[in-house]
Amino acid sequence: MLTYIFRRLLVALAVMMTVAVVSFMLLHLSGDLATAIAGPESSAADVEKIRIQYGLDRPITTQFFEWLWAALHLDFGRSFYFPNTVVELIGERLPITLKLGGISLLLAVLVAIPLGVAAALYRDSWVDRVALGIAVVGQAMPSFWFALTLILIFSVQLKWLPVAGNVSWQHFVLPAIALGYYAMPSLMRLTRAGMLDVLGSDYIRTARAKGLSRKRVVFKHALRNAIIPVVALAAVELGFMLGGSVVIESVYSMQGLGQLAWDSISRNDYPVVQAVVLIIAVFYIGLTFVADVLNAALDPRMRTR
Amino acid sequence: MSLLLDIKNLKVDLPTERGTLQAVRGIDIQVKRGEMLCLVGESGCGKSMTSLALMGLLPSKAKRTADHMLFDGIDLQSLDERGMAQLRGARMSMIFQEPMTSLNPSYTLGDQLCEALRAHKKVTAAQARDRAVYLLERAGVPMAADRMRQYPHQLSGGLRQRVMIAMALMCEPDLIIADEPTTALDVTIQAQILRLIRELQKEFGTAVVFITHDLGVVARIADNVSVMYAGQVVEHAPVREIFAHPSHYYTSGLLNCIPVRGKTLPGSRLQSIPGVVPSLIGKVEGCTFANRCAHVREACIAPPNVQVDPTHTALCVDAVTLASLETA
Amino acid sequence: MSSPNITFGKPPLPLPAIPAWRRWTKRVLGHHGLTLGAIILLVIAIAALLAPWIAPHDPYEQDVTRRMIPPVWYAKGSWEFILGTDKLGRDYLSRLLYGARVSLIIGFMVTLISGVIGTTLGVLAGYFGGRVDAVVSYILTVRLAMPVVLVALAMASLVGGSLNVVILLLGLLLWDRFAIVTRSATQQLRDAEFIAAAKSLGASTPYIVIRELLPNLLSALLVVATLEMAHAILLESTLSFLGLGVQPPTPSWGLMVAEGKAYMFFQAWVILIPGIVLATLVLGINLLGDGLRDLTAPDGRN
Repeated sequence: MLTYIFRRLLVALAVMMTVAVVSFMLLHLSGDLATAIAGPESSAADVEKIRIQYGLDRPITTQFFEWLWAALHLDFGRSFYFPNTVVELIGERLPITLKLGGISLLLAVLVAIPLGVAAALYRDSWVDRVALGIAVVGQAMPSFWFALTLILIFSVQLKWLPVAGNVSWQHFVLPAIALGYYAMPSLMRLTRAGMLDVLGSDYIRTARAKGLSRKRVVFKHALRNAIIPVVALAAVELGFMLGGSVVIESVYSMQGLGQLAWDSISRNDYPVVQAVVLIIAVFYIGLTFVADVLNAALDPRMRTR
Repeated sequence: MSLLLDIKNLKVDLPTERGTLQAVRGIDIQVKRGEMLCLVGESGCGKSMTSLALMGLLPSKAKRTADHMLFDGIDLQSLDERGMAQLRGARMSMIFQEPMTSLNPSYTLGDQLCEALRAHKKVTAAQARDRAVYLLERAGVPMAADRMRQYPHQLSGGLRQRVMIAMALMCEPDLIIADEPTTALDVTIQAQILRLIRELQKEFGTAVVFITHDLGVVARIADNVSVMYAGQVVEHAPVREIFAHPSHYYTSGLLNCIPVRGKTLPGSRLQSIPGVVPSLIGKVEGCTFANRCAHVREACIAPPNVQVDPTHTALCVDAVTLASLETA
Repeated sequence: MSSPNITFGKPPLPLPAIPAWRRWTKRVLGHHGLTLGAIILLVIAIAALLAPWIAPHDPYEQDVTRRMIPPVWYAKGSWEFILGTDKLGRDYLSRLLYGARVSLIIGFMVTLISGVIGTTLGVLAGYFGGRVDAVVSYILTVRLAMPVVLVALAMASLVGGSLNVVILLLGLLLWDRFAIVTRSATQQLRDAEFIAAAKSLGASTPYIVIRELLPNLLSALLVVATLEMAHAILLESTLSFLGLGVQPPTPSWGLMVAEGKAYMFFQAWVILIPGIVLATLVLGINLLGDGLRDLTAPDGRN
């Protein structure tokens, strides 16, 4: 088991490195950064000045390795827009995004699992159809639109919750719903599929033959096995949420990492953009790693090899 | 002695895309306390469905009817799911065919064994554990106490089946239904498990309904035999009678298929019964074996259930004639 | 001893022969989700196709004297502009119809490009295994680790947003699911007997891949394609909403929501209508994809 973890760790590191390279290259090769930073109204001379000032005239490999070296020391440079270092900025915003992601995932899971279990137990009944209907509709709405609609209903019409900001817990409710609803359908479907699969297995038949109550058969025996892939998926979904929080945070002005990334893109603040992309990738890789470990840990077959 | 299990005219219907499959078509089962009844027949004859019908574990789409289904006087047909759950494991338990998949991979053996007992009787965890270890040892599982902490995947198929047997005995049930418990095992292990089941049955006085397709098994362990074909019991007799005086052409056909040392010449063709089992969808008129029987005639449109002997019945027009033949 | 010809012993039931196509049509139509999805998609596609003929006005025609007229069911609405006008006085219904074209074109093109890339990678990895598989799997992992939305946004901001840029960017980024599915499907098929048979007849690898393998992947590919198409349409709308997708004045549903955002507190319909249409299109495509998946692999192989 330890060698397994070790090997996965190595692969994870390699992937992180590759992501760093790829994102760096993509940014620097998509267009002329100097022109972008200088802005559309600047002269050629201005652009040149900026190019030299930011070291953009050097060969790209040199730029990359310099950036990488600094990054390994957790120095991502300074923002072009704010007076702070990138690390400071990220340090400010990251906790908010993590909090949002955590709450969103919790909400998604709390809805998805009971719904999935119910759908599996009452397969093809109205419960099942409603659950699948929610799943299908949930995956069809664009997140930004759903977020705006939530504001319209709950902030404007009903006046229950605030529109923007991140100060109180009420500020997190709508964003968490908006962010979480997109993950909910896939979690619910996986729970349902897993339960249906498990409920048809031989050991469930044995459990029933032992005279165990239905509740015990479903929750102790069936769910325990069906939930394993769902837990792993939940970890991965959290990774997606971190990446997809851009839109939600912007709509709700959460001042989190996603909004920072978006604002920085609009302002051509590339050191920040690069760093955020890498951080999110690191989190995603870490979470998939956690998902793998969870998968292995929860299945006794893998533990005692 | 009163009957432990008294089933009359059991029928099981399964709706399918192409019509209703009549899996079990009116069979009678009678088992006394401590008796070993073997239900023997080929794949698809309805024996597994019968066992599931007894336990109330049929798929939800299936329809089960019977004139009466009495288990120690209890009317099984009047019990709802919760009522059946109280009986299952406690007074009637079941052993299944595939030991590799019949245990939950996520829980220890000890957990699953103790759970079988504690679901029905108020005992402490320690008491349950003691009983589990005792039964594991009786079932021939070495290092039983250590095994309790192990997971199913750490055991071989034969060992897992022994665990299943121990699990079935946790509550000292009156009846055990064993659905081909040795079919998925190695031949050498098969013999051991058979012997074990027979011993335990005698020791605990449990009645057993043993389902199999193997006449060799029947010869070794049965007290009584019911031969099933196409959803019906075509013959029922004590084991010696069945082998000595088969009174149905299917039974005699089966016996002829078995090569006999000393009699069957090397290089000669093995016997088989020509034809295929008829479709069980929709009504069947007359004897179900008619299309494969060399002796079919007009009378076979309504085969009588002949009482050849007080303990021997056969569903054939020629039952009496056959019974009087001597088979070697 | 009479011959065993007497038939009351019941030979196997002969079934009425139903032609294959009739059976299939029954299954397809019987699947309500699939039918509904197909209808939705068809309606929107036809509307988009016929937009130049059925749109009541020119979607680009501005007239500030008639800005922000509400839809016909409001008091101030009129039948001349059934769904009202936007902030520049352009007819909403016409923009909606032309916006459908944008969504469908993007959905289709992106699916095509990413489908080709993903399927190629997936088949290569699944068929050849070994090092090729290791390389492709690695590329896949890297791709999955990158936050697509952010990367797309960053690159779009540098290159400049436009219809073609969006198609290219998304096409080059959204191939992951294609690769995953074709890879596992190819792995399963690789060991199938008909492949071995073809090999033993001396068929060359390209021949096997194209003539034997691909047709069998078709069902899985179709399912993934529909789902990725929905994904692409949603992503484009997000990009356009943020201003880095299709640029004004081209009508895109995402863009329309962005343009209406400033007015949404008092004229909610400005953002509700494009959003509902967008959701309906994506819903239809998803239903179609799910239906296809149910029909081709009800045991959940896909």
